[in-house]
Amino acid sequence: MKDKLTHQESLSLITEMITQAKRNVAKGGSNQILLWGWTVAFANFGHYALALSGIPHPYMIWLITIPAAIISVVMGMKIGQKGAVGHIDRVYGRVWMAAGISMVICLAMMHTINFNHNGVILLIAGMGMFITGSLLKFTPIVAGSFVLWIAALISFNLPEIQQYPLSGVAILLGYLIPGYLLKRAERG
Amino acid sequence: MDNFEPLDPLLHSQLRLAVMSLLISLEDAEFTFIKEKTQATAGNLSVQLDKLEQAGYISISKSFKGKRPLTTCKITTTGIKAFEAYVTALKKYLP
Repeated sequence: MKDKLTHQESLSLITEMITQAKRNVAKGGSNQILLWGWTVAFANFGHYALALSGIPHPYMIWLITIPAAIISVVMGMKIGQKGAVGHIDRVYGRVWMAAGISMVICLAMMHTINFNHNGVILLIAGMGMFITGSLLKFTPIVAGSFVLWIAALISFNLPEIQQYPLSGVAILLGYLIPGYLLKRAERG
Repeated sequence: MDNFEPLDPLLHSQLRLAVMSLLISLEDAEFTFIKEKTQATAGNLSVQLDKLEQAGYISISKSFKGKRPLTTCKITTTGIKAFEAYVTALKKYLP
């Protein structure tokens, strides 16, 4: 590398390095979306199916979120091992950490909120998707947040048991489809 | 006529400017990442990182990843201000 630069070379170098840095950040987010999308969709449909079949304690299917959380943490650590952490990576991680904590509190208080936890969780997931989509400037993710919010609105007007298949469908349409579109965009 | 401010000599060098341009876009970056992106030799990169650290433009932390030593660099507030001043001054030189 040479020591003296022309002004134009300086500008080109700055642009090139910022592009190089951008190329390495904010990738791999789709895998987290797909992991949680499939886990939550499976748990929602599973809860509904178990409840309809008269199997006791259908909510036990939500224990599937424990291995999902472990896989999610391992995946997050792998993203951190790519040699650099971007500003978006950090905000992105914080947003979903905040969303996760809010969801756990909501689930813990489901009795107090009259078992309307599904609607609240859809609201929180919608907010996370909206912020993520805006940070990534990826419209399908932003669109997904509106699907989740509309589902939340409907959910608040349904009996608890019917909220589960609704949440499952909302996750498929508003979370998983945008997640797959993001994965395709990351590859491209 | 615009005043042509002198460009910061510490930043007006290809490798140091490349490092600062990378770090301004990131929270932090490992030595190996910077080496790969700048295509510099390890020796030269170490020397230039030391110069940037001595000027207070970056902070360098050393730790271990498993058994391997890990060097992580992060731009400081002073470094951000210096980089912004460099870009502002550079704009005046460009047509």
